[in-house]
Amino acid sequence: MSQHTADMVKVTDATERIVHWILAGSCLFCLFSGLGLMFRSWNFIPALLGGLYAAKWMHIFSGVIFSFSLSYAYFMWRKDCTFEPDDAKWIANGGGYLWETDNLPPVYKYNAGQKLFFWFVMIFGIGIIASGLVMWNPLIFPDLVARWSYPLHVMSAMVIGSFFVVHLYLGTIGNPGTATAMFTGYCSRAWCETHCPRWLAERDGKSVTE
Amino acid sequence: MKDIEYIKLIDTTRCTACRGCQVACKQWNEMPASKTSQFGSYQNPPDLQWNTWTLIRFQEHVNKDGDFKWLFRKDGCMHCTDAACVKACPSGALFHTEIGTVGLNRDACIGCKACTSACPFDIPKYNKETEKVYKCDLCYSRLLAGKQPACVLSCITGALTIGDKETMMKKAYDRVEQLGGKAVVYGDKFVGGTHVIYILAETPAEYDKLPANPKVPASVVLWKNLFKPFTLIGMGAVAGMAALHYLIKGPHKVHEKNEGGE
Repeated sequence: MSQHTADMVKVTDATERIVHWILAGSCLFCLFSGLGLMFRSWNFIPALLGGLYAAKWMHIFSGVIFSFSLSYAYFMWRKDCTFEPDDAKWIANGGGYLWETDNLPPVYKYNAGQKLFFWFVMIFGIGIIASGLVMWNPLIFPDLVARWSYPLHVMSAMVIGSFFVVHLYLGTIGNPGTATAMFTGYCSRAWCETHCPRWLAERDGKSVTE
Repeated sequence: MKDIEYIKLIDTTRCTACRGCQVACKQWNEMPASKTSQFGSYQNPPDLQWNTWTLIRFQEHVNKDGDFKWLFRKDGCMHCTDAACVKACPSGALFHTEIGTVGLNRDACIGCKACTSACPFDIPKYNKETEKVYKCDLCYSRLLAGKQPACVLSCITGALTIGDKETMMKKAYDRVEQLGGKAVVYGDKFVGGTHVIYILAETPAEYDKLPANPKVPASVVLWKNLFKPFTLIGMGAVAGMAALHYLIKGPHKVHEKNEGGE
């Protein structure tokens, strides 16, 4: 931990990082085993897992882990991800990602884009879990419920999968210096002043200076 | 007998409900019987089961004048041209055969049960013990070997016949014309045409568990034709946009005034 000197700031605790990676791991396993089960051209993934039948059960098992980690993540991050009035301004300015702007409101812990990601994953996560539970044993549900669980499941996967790609980009090469937040737990002070100035100031016992 | 499009004709007006076909089907396919109990009908078992692929439905029908008659209908897979079960099946266990029927390769079935709710006729049945789905395959192996399906072979009244599509459709319409009244051909007008065709004495809506206008469910179409491709299209499009952003705008660096901290 010697590299975490004064200019590094602890932005996540161990619980957050562990939950993040269990959630990410189960989500990605579900995503790719699901694509492997759905597309004939992706059948090599289930083949590597021991066949379609084995992959089906692994997909379900991973979905159960996803369900529990998503529930935990909800209670862990919902406060940090509650919207505030300034978030509309942040979104109106494209978060500073799309064009130059000097009107970005100072962010607390997470910006409006991250909050949106959180809530989209929560909403469609509930959709994918609920429909997945029906698909696990569709015979005990009314026909209509069973039938519509399939498009709901795949639509939710489409939304979560697309947001995952954005998340991956913005968490790594799109925002250099960010990814360490989920590995070591530390980011540079300069990074914090850029991405979460209000949170940093509160942590340091100061008010924000524009 | 390869590469002919087969049609099995079920002339319900000739059916006496002897259930020879039901027994022959079980015997040929080596399906065990399940113990059932009397529920106030000759119909037995009460519904199609994983081990009962065809079933004579006994329906007590009273017309407007108060006349009673039996409606006998041999239920089972309709072998749709546009089969929802094949569309829903992720493993290829359910497939369209070269003779127009819907085959089932049970070794490939992973027991996902997606076909059971997709089918507009409620045909595929799941067995918990084997974790596989079962249904009539119109005796695929017998047809390929030049033999009639077991049910057709067993039928003593001529209610069940099988042959090439053109001959059988002509036969069906000729018979309906001969019968007159409410008699109707059922099966050729939906799901791309079924490969099991009924001659019904009454209008289809009067028969129990027979959909008047069966379709591939909208949920299956939405699932397979829209959302399925859009999982890859969506993720690909977003990845492309991220790449463009990286190339055009470049990575989002920390603000320069903040470089090096305070």
